[in-house]
Amino acid sequence: MDKLNEKTRERTPVKLGEVNFTPILIALLVGFIIVAIFVILRRRSAGRRDFLLTGLSEAGKSAIFMQLVHGKFPETFTSIKENVGEYYSGQQAATRLVDIPGHYRVRDKCFELHKRNAKGIVFVVDSVSVQKDIRDVADFLYTILSDSATQPCSVLILCNKQDQTTAKSSQVIKTLLEKELHTVRDTRSRKLQSVGDDEVNKPIVLGKPGRDFEFAHISQQVQFVESSAKDNQLKQLTQWIDRLL
Amino acid sequence: MLDFVVVFTKGGVVLWNSNESGQNYSSCINSLIRGVILEERNTESKYFEEDHLAVQFKLDNELDLVYAAVFQKVIKLNYLDNFLSEMQLAFKEKFSEIALGNDYDFEQEFRSVLSAAEEASAKQGKAPKAMRSYNESQKSKKTVASMIEDPKKSSSSATTAASEKRVNIQESPPSSTAGSPRSNEDIIQENRRKLREKLTPTKKAAQESRASKAQQSTQSEKAGKKPRVWDLGGNSKDAVLLDRSKDAPEDQVQVPSIHNELVGTMQGQIPDLDEQSDSPSDESDVDDYEEQQQQRRQAAPTQRKPKSSSGLLSYFKGIVGAKTMTRQELQPALEKMRDHLISKNVASEIAAKLCDSVATSLEGKQLGTFDSIASQVRDALTQSLVRILSPKRRIDIIRDALESKRNGRPYTIIFCGVNGVGKSTNLAKICFWLIENDFNVLIAACDTFRAGAVEQLRTHTRHLNALHPPAKHQNRQMVQLYEKGYGKDAAGIAMEAIKFAHDTKVDVVLVDTAGRMQDNEPLMRSLSKLIKVNNPDLVLFVGEALVGNEAVDQLVKFNQSLADYSSHENPHIIDGIVLTKFDTIDDKVGAAISMTYITGQPIVFVGTGQTYADLKAINVNAVVSSLMK
Repeated sequence: MDKLNEKTRERTPVKLGEVNFTPILIALLVGFIIVAIFVILRRRSAGRRDFLLTGLSEAGKSAIFMQLVHGKFPETFTSIKENVGEYYSGQQAATRLVDIPGHYRVRDKCFELHKRNAKGIVFVVDSVSVQKDIRDVADFLYTILSDSATQPCSVLILCNKQDQTTAKSSQVIKTLLEKELHTVRDTRSRKLQSVGDDEVNKPIVLGKPGRDFEFAHISQQVQFVESSAKDNQLKQLTQWIDRLL
Repeated sequence: MLDFVVVFTKGGVVLWNSNESGQNYSSCINSLIRGVILEERNTESKYFEEDHLAVQFKLDNELDLVYAAVFQKVIKLNYLDNFLSEMQLAFKEKFSEIALGNDYDFEQEFRSVLSAAEEASAKQGKAPKAMRSYNESQKSKKTVASMIEDPKKSSSSATTAASEKRVNIQESPPSSTAGSPRSNEDIIQENRRKLREKLTPTKKAAQESRASKAQQSTQSEKAGKKPRVWDLGGNSKDAVLLDRSKDAPEDQVQVPSIHNELVGTMQGQIPDLDEQSDSPSDESDVDDYEEQQQQRRQAAPTQRKPKSSSGLLSYFKGIVGAKTMTRQELQPALEKMRDHLISKNVASEIAAKLCDSVATSLEGKQLGTFDSIASQVRDALTQSLVRILSPKRRIDIIRDALESKRNGRPYTIIFCGVNGVGKSTNLAKICFWLIENDFNVLIAACDTFRAGAVEQLRTHTRHLNALHPPAKHQNRQMVQLYEKGYGKDAAGIAMEAIKFAHDTKVDVVLVDTAGRMQDNEPLMRSLSKLIKVNNPDLVLFVGEALVGNEAVDQLVKFNQSLADYSSHENPHIIDGIVLTKFDTIDDKVGAAISMTYITGQPIVFVGTGQTYADLKAINVNAVVSSLMK
């Protein structure tokens, strides 16, 4: 009994001043370092590895998405939300493919969300109605190209619906777009410093100001290919994606 | 019975469909998506009509799916609600996860659900109709006084008299405003008639008042500017003095160039609305912009910091269990949001419909542990407000005007609206913006009713020409006025003005019309005729930002009149909205939402003051943030 009492008496209450702080501090420090590494890794891995499919409504983006990611061709309607999927190219790693709805009301918000993670942008154009909609097409393309977040991306302009007889070829579409973008640049270059813009998203003037607009002048690499989602003629698109991976 | 049943994801991919007739229904479904879901009009009814087809749909927010059933409009199917819910349950049971690549075979389940629903509805139809309870009957709704028969009164009971009284009250204010300067006898007669009506409300009195109102409005339409009646009489010498259609030589004073500093400030695209929207736009100094940009630069890095912490939390969100939201749970948060919107001057029906639509889009959605219902409701409401305010097509007037110039015809814009909203002032501002961007403008004075309307436009023309003299623009007068005085037919003047513009190679024609109340049928008819005959490129409705619930009524009736009174199969309705007097409201910007929701058309210009440079474009984020503040 006495020994027990002695032992309990020896266990004197620990005073705060005598507590050894160092183990606690070391533990906290290690914890912080781990959390910091974790956050940095997540940030870095969320770097640019997405491919965005954009374009006007009814251009065929959702159909192309389904073909590439799932190998099917179901019927599609106007998208309300974006479609996200993993695309496995033959040799290398997978990449994320994001199909952004083309409808005017949703496209800007959606594009804002994904543009920072984009490595490549595929702009799908309906080759049949491009002449009629050239102004809308050029307006959207200019917005994408002049956005500061898309400067390091590579751009592919996909002339879809080539299975139709009245589809224009990619050369014709290229010249049409260059002419129209020249006018759009002219109209927009006279824009006043809009007060609502934040400094980060200041739009950039494309090409060389004095001369006619050409795709060779801008900082992104732009290529034109033809395709047809219906006939599964997407080989050039897949080659381009593979090259970039 | 059901022509087409389809299940598709919100990303647009069809998972399963059943097509009885083999026709292609994609255009119908696409118009459903564009007309209803994207316009945030998905209320309780979930029903949409197009041509001879009708669609009933159901949103599944948990799996992000849409279930839709297409059938012929004339066949009324009352089991569809239950059928769609049953189908949703069955689908969820069979396929708990949605992977786009899989095959979805739902045929059997669909058949069984359909037959069950049809049987249930047949049984319900056969059951005898239950008798109404007392509370539901008509008798309980009548007051005791109304049921007491008064032999003195004519066949009308008190209820019809009361309704006529209401009709009378509504009619008398418009008749008083529609009247031009009337002589004393007319006023006395009118008062006598009103007194008679108040004492003996009968059907005859109501008819009388209606007839006299119609008379008065036609009279006012024919008379236009009535000749002045002097007490002591006048003679032909007075006529010369009273002639207001031309300026006297003394009026041609040199216009003082007080506004020269405005020249050059409106070039290019119109600047967006300021985020804070409190700085007067008159001081368009460079220092002001720089200061605000600096503020934004400082604000931007602080905004990014919370992102890392939310990134960590979102990791945990997936692990902890989630619960779904039901409509009852959403109700209190929605009520609060609805009252908040109404306090910001959104029309009450619009606020109710918006909250309904938000409820539909959130119902059944998973709620993360670190989310609250209030925050989810807030986010969903912000998202739908942004969607409503974002334009649904590209608006670029300079680009379209350039296109018309290239085709060699003038670009025509017609301004319409009710009285006193700022049509003529904003027309002058838009004219200034256009001439700053090197377009020739012709103003057509089709307001032949209001006193001084033509002179006002002439003064504006003179000012604008003084600011941009012909010497600076290759000896071409930048602004011209086409007017034919008062009392003439507006549609005729507009047609001649456009022809004149075409002949003299003017780039843009701005047509100013008289203000009119939306209930005034003859005036709405004349407006519709003006639009139909002249086929403009753009019909802009000018509305003031101060208006509250009235906005709904105005726009609905304007649109309806333009559609009804035009004999065309594709009538030209309102294409865009000009929101004026925006500087008078601080953050009660609800009128913008009401107007865009009702018409579905974008806000093209915003008027923020009374000088020429007070013209801005709408900044969707600024308006939504001030609404949700």
